[in-house]
Amino acid sequence: MNVLIIEDEKSLAKELEIFLSTNNYLCEICYNGKTASEKIAINLYDFILIDLGLPDYEGLDLLKEAKKHNPEAACIILTARAEVYDRIKGLDLGADDYLPKPFSMLELQSRMQAIVRRKFGLKHTIVTLGNFVIDLNDRTISHNSTEVSTITKKEFDLIAYLIMNKNRTLTRPQLSEHIWGSLVNDDYDSNYIDVHIKNIRKKLSAFAPPDWLETVRGLGYKIKMS
Amino acid sequence: MKLQTKLTLFNAISKLVIVILFVLLLPTLIKNINQTYNDNRMRKQQDKVMQLIKSQGIGYYIQNGEGYGSYTLLKEEYISLDEADSSLSIDTISNHKRLVERDTIEYRILSHTFKAGGKNYLLEVGKSVNTVGETNIALQSIALEVLLGMICLTILADLFYSNYILKPLGLIIKTKLIGNKFPNFGSYKKVRTTTSDFQYLDKSIHEMIQAIEGAFHKEREFISNASHELMTPISILQSKIENMFNRDEISDDVKVRLLEMQKILNRLKSITKTLLLISQIENAQFLKEDTIGIKNLVEAVYQEISIRLEEKNIGFKILIAEDFTLEQVNRFLLFNMFFNLVNNAIKYNKVNGDITIKGFKEADRLIVQVTDSGIGIAEEQVSFIFNRFKKFRQSMEQESFGLGLPIVKSIADFHGIDINVTSTINEGTTFTLHFPPAEV
Repeated sequence: MNVLIIEDEKSLAKELEIFLSTNNYLCEICYNGKTASEKIAINLYDFILIDLGLPDYEGLDLLKEAKKHNPEAACIILTARAEVYDRIKGLDLGADDYLPKPFSMLELQSRMQAIVRRKFGLKHTIVTLGNFVIDLNDRTISHNSTEVSTITKKEFDLIAYLIMNKNRTLTRPQLSEHIWGSLVNDDYDSNYIDVHIKNIRKKLSAFAPPDWLETVRGLGYKIKMS
Repeated sequence: MKLQTKLTLFNAISKLVIVILFVLLLPTLIKNINQTYNDNRMRKQQDKVMQLIKSQGIGYYIQNGEGYGSYTLLKEEYISLDEADSSLSIDTISNHKRLVERDTIEYRILSHTFKAGGKNYLLEVGKSVNTVGETNIALQSIALEVLLGMICLTILADLFYSNYILKPLGLIIKTKLIGNKFPNFGSYKKVRTTTSDFQYLDKSIHEMIQAIEGAFHKEREFISNASHELMTPISILQSKIENMFNRDEISDDVKVRLLEMQKILNRLKSITKTLLLISQIENAQFLKEDTIGIKNLVEAVYQEISIRLEEKNIGFKILIAEDFTLEQVNRFLLFNMFFNLVNNAIKYNKVNGDITIKGFKEADRLIVQVTDSGIGIAEEQVSFIFNRFKKFRQSMEQESFGLGLPIVKSIADFHGIDINVTSTINEGTTFTLHFPPAEV
């Protein structure tokens, strides 16, 4: 998949490129609005990541141009100016998603995956882990056709996030950010993720031991999948 | 007491004192006036008698040395002429008793000696003291009535005038001080007055408000800019750490240290995000157009926070009627407000404690109370709990930076919700939210 990264902060653009490239995306970077505008007019992309705070260009104008020349591309707005008005304007103009800075790149990737699933109309993304079958669209976990109904929304969010980042250790801060990211409160370094994982294990163990959900000592958790 | 009330009261009391003084002095005053008037009249009578004597000659009145006397029927007045000792020379007006046909009557008597035809004569003009005093009472009552009438008039005039002259002051207090909700002062409207003191006061208050507003604006702008500017470097650092974390050649102990960095960065991010949110709320960058069921909202908060309750085995009760709804509010903000209130109630609670959220209506206002059975807040600290970065209470387990309640306060202020806090050490704390009628 082709990604155009429009970001004037060079080191941030670089990190995005490194991250997305290792996840098999083909990246191009623009550090200013002018070249971005040209690239949008000439090339076709699957994803366009637009930083709204460009010094030489109104970011929302780039979004309009992208919608015109690259109607198939999914546009994700990245901005440090997280004002609601910008947010509303961005979504009105057809942005597919919106990520306020600072964001985790894992979060960005999971949003991109979600857009892909939506765009290509993947009705059922089904993952099999041991004897468990997980449907990411219906948000269900079942064991031999019996649904594990005790799993809560938050718990499912955690499992889904770990599946989307399979075979990769996710740290507690990364998991917290994903499931409590939109909340603004004054706690940090919480151990609630551990409590959630403990509960998930307890609930699933009633059916079968979830060996695939691994604790990486001192670091975090991961889901092992072939 | 209001200035105008004080002024009116002083006016009325001072006038009352004057009236009492006047009433006390009145009899003496009237008596004096009457007497002076009477004395003058007798002098005039004396002059006329002397003129008559001059033109007619003394012999016309006194013959054979017999004195002349004349009095009215009721013995109220009399005039007498008599020969007197040649050495006698008087000219006085004074009170004396006289025996007139068996009646002893007190008279005011003018005594005057004069010479005519080589002899000394004494003229007396008398008027009974009773008749002199007769008009006293009538005069007194008239004077009193007139005085009272005038006092009433002046009190009324004072009232109207002070009311008129103090109107600008009342206007300044009402529009500049009471009506203003800190720190949103609105636009400046000059108070019209010709009193220079009030003009000065109005101008000074306006200048002070401007200075405060300027300081507030600068602070808000600073927080907003600072947090925005911090977001980009934090973003870069976060991406770098994430990328490093994913590299296979990095050993586990380096990863543990990267995780430490990630945690510290998270803390920085959390503080910046919170400050940014507060500044956005203070700059009114949120819309208020959601309609929400309050019970629904609190239940959603419970879903989000139940994991934290579980840890301390804290009971959670929601006592809110289904049909209590809020209009023209911001759901995201109110969710965060309740989340932080409940989070606070968990943080400072005891193991096996309780949290109750109760909603009820009082008059046209909706009231929601969040009560915990926690460690409580000392009375002298209650007024500081909404201050940013102030941490008074040592919480048991969780690290925090003291912005939870300031978020609550900002959101409440934005929605016009009044918050009261009551607390008893070791028994618990209650946060009472009074929603404005417009939102209910």
